[in-house]
Amino acid sequence: MSHSRRTFLLGGLAGAGAGLLTGSAGAEPARPASLAFHGTHQAGVLAPPARQVAFVSFDVIAPDRAGLVALLRTITDRARFLSAGGSPAPEGIAGPPADSGVLGPRIPGGATVTVAVGASLFDHRYGLADRKPAHLKPMRVFANDSLDPAWCHGDLLLQISAVDNDSVLHALRDIMRATRGGMQVRWRIDGFISPPRPSGTPRNLMGFKDGTANPDVTNGSEMDRLVWAGAGEPGWAADGTYLVVRLIRMLVEFWDRVSLSEQENMFGRRKDTGAPLSGSVESDLPDYHADPVGSVIPLTSHIRRANPRTAETDASRILRRGYNYDRGVDGAGNLDMGLVFTCFQQDIGRQFEATQERLADEPLTDYIAPFGGGYFFVLPGVPGADVYFGQPLVG
Amino acid sequence: MSSTHPTRRRLLAGGVVAVAAAVVAGVLVFARDGGAPPAPAAAPAAAPAAEPVVAGTSNCGKGWAPHAGDQTVQVVNRGTAATDVEVVAIPSGAVHGELEGLGAGLTRPLRVVLGGGDYAIRCGVEDVSPITGPVVHVAGPPGPAGVVPVTANDLAGPLEQYTGYVTTGLTTLVRRTTELRDAVRAGDLGKARSAWLPAHLAYVRLGAAYGAFGDADGAIDGDPGGLPRGVADPGFTGFRRLEHGLWHGQSAKQLTPVADKLAADVAALRKSFPRSQIDPRDLGLRAHEIFEDVDRETLTGGADQGSHSELAEVAASLDATKELVGVLRLVLTTRYPRLSEVDSGMARLASLLAGLRPYRPLGSLPRADRARLNGSVGDLVEKLAPIAVICAPRRTS
Ligand code: HEM
Repeated sequence: MSHSRRTFLLGGLAGAGAGLLTGSAGAEPARPASLAFHGTHQAGVLAPPARQVAFVSFDVIAPDRAGLVALLRTITDRARFLSAGGSPAPEGIAGPPADSGVLGPRIPGGATVTVAVGASLFDHRYGLADRKPAHLKPMRVFANDSLDPAWCHGDLLLQISAVDNDSVLHALRDIMRATRGGMQVRWRIDGFISPPRPSGTPRNLMGFKDGTANPDVTNGSEMDRLVWAGAGEPGWAADGTYLVVRLIRMLVEFWDRVSLSEQENMFGRRKDTGAPLSGSVESDLPDYHADPVGSVIPLTSHIRRANPRTAETDASRILRRGYNYDRGVDGAGNLDMGLVFTCFQQDIGRQFEATQERLADEPLTDYIAPFGGGYFFVLPGVPGADVYFGQPLVG
Repeated sequence: MSSTHPTRRRLLAGGVVAVAAAVVAGVLVFARDGGAPPAPAAAPAAAPAAEPVVAGTSNCGKGWAPHAGDQTVQVVNRGTAATDVEVVAIPSGAVHGELEGLGAGLTRPLRVVLGGGDYAIRCGVEDVSPITGPVVHVAGPPGPAGVVPVTANDLAGPLEQYTGYVTTGLTTLVRRTTELRDAVRAGDLGKARSAWLPAHLAYVRLGAAYGAFGDADGAIDGDPGGLPRGVADPGFTGFRRLEHGLWHGQSAKQLTPVADKLAADVAALRKSFPRSQIDPRDLGLRAHEIFEDVDRETLTGGADQGSHSELAEVAASLDATKELVGVLRLVLTTRYPRLSEVDSGMARLASLLAGLRPYRPLGSLPRADRARLNGSVGDLVEKLAPIAVICAPRRTS
């Protein structure tokens, strides 16, 4: 299919699903300035998304298993410090300052470092082949992808989030400085969440509120069904989760030349309020039951394909966290910006891939170009001061 | 003239005390690579409105009442000249904290972490012998070791040794550059291309002496950066200029004047070197700066003019750095607890490079090798950096 010729929206003809109403809707509560570092799960999974984030994928270059253990210990020490804050002890005349000083003499804390590992870490290098999480594999190529190998995969991924961009960059510099011999950056993308305009869920760079419908993170049993690692996982992986990252460029110039009603039909929601086309406010749930042929919310619309809200598709729901990115300008003089799409789930195949397959050839594909990302397993949390990330895996 | 190694910092001239190194009193590197976690504990806030500790030629250290642990005191210079202020252990002289160039009349905070022991404030005013204030006893468990300052005297031996290394290296450089020039003159450009690398590497191995070479460094190994006409600029001379021509199909006739000038510049350098001086401060600084250049110029491919000899350059830079660490070893053993990590870092890089032989262009390395190379250099340069601070000469008497 040619990428530049848009697919026309087909007013629905196909049969309809049952109107199962699932998922919370509306703006999430604000994220606290700082999250507790120690816990069963990593704090950066269920917390409301932070305003600033960096996703940094690394190749692990530690020479052996002991080197990998040292690396994970160092990452843990740094992450703990960056979360709690404090003042590094003075160096005297023994070396350059330990801290970049980007945040001033006292590090306020509040940076949340979330650590995940890719399938390649479980190759022959560190003797971990028999401990791979059950559903971890390299990211697949999907219809309409234009993946650049330099922007895909990785042995280890850090999601570094904070209220302010300087905190994210400070944390990244701190961690990289301490781990140069153990890992090297493979790709990195910075993302941000816009302020609500004017209210409700923040907007993506297509101008639509993005993040409205999501599983309820305060519902423990829903999280156990949809997010946290489930049956069939190796023992060490309990309390972890899978993270999918998809780097998706938006062809914003093209998008801005499309009529409002076509844009809204593509998503199935109003651009101004974020309300489903079947409702009037953002928190209204889309009603597919009363609209079996898609005359209100087209059957090909993004939200209807992504989550048909049927009993059969309920277990494929994902916890989405989208961030805007902005990478400058391409050779054609067009802006390079888009979405760092991420989602947490219990099983990548059952959830993300099933959703992505339902979205294949949706009308929106003509305005986006997925170019990178990867599949990762978010390690279980660090329960106490004497424990490090991945200890039950490598220890 | 073409620009020289841009990463090599210029020594700061401004310090009030002649030997002041270009270093601000620092903060402790928390243990990395799996060492003890840093204390997230907050530094106590600056002493609330207590009388500041006095520094300067009279009453140095008056009012200082330290305790064990992390503390920040205000220090005031009541004299008429700027002073350096150090917290030193008695009798070892190990420095635990430092304020450089505290101006007359100024008050600044000084933060130290102290364990049990005896300490004093030492005030260093230019042209006056340093004055040590009253000795104060601190009760408590042992704390950080501090570093015994390196004096100009401590560096005399290393400097002499290093000067000898450079003198020998210059002889090799002259011989190889002459061979290179002869090949160009003879019109044998194939031979010239093979002769270029050994000659250039002989220069790379002298990495810590570039400061002493002065303008000759730019003429011999400058890059086209900063020249209005870039590689075509008449100010672009030396090894890189010749490399550009040899790997871009320029004729022997075109390159003969370039080779002649390079050979002449190198010969002149050997002649003048005995009359020039390597600044003792360079020894410590260059310990990491040779690899700062590698990181910035070589590993990015930025310095290459066509020979793609990046890996050989990294290896020669390792030789150069090893030599420096070697001459400084005696000074460092008692002062730098992580010296063994420098050694293991150099060994790791050496074995990585050995595994990459025969060397090929950097750009054709598999990504995993490139990541290992970048990481090994990055790790090493982090561990070399404290040497610059530790080896900055200070006056103690
Ligand atoms: C650039 C690419 C994308 C854009 C611009 C985009 C935008 C949106 C928007 C505006 C909504 C409606 C508001 C909301 O509920 O958050 C939405 C919903 C949703 N999107 Fe996307 N999205 C993109 C990619 C994806 C991908 C790759 C997936 C998964 C494979 C996905 C899955 C979903 C799901 C599950 C919903 C919620 C549907 C519901 O429960 O009603 N989206 N998206």
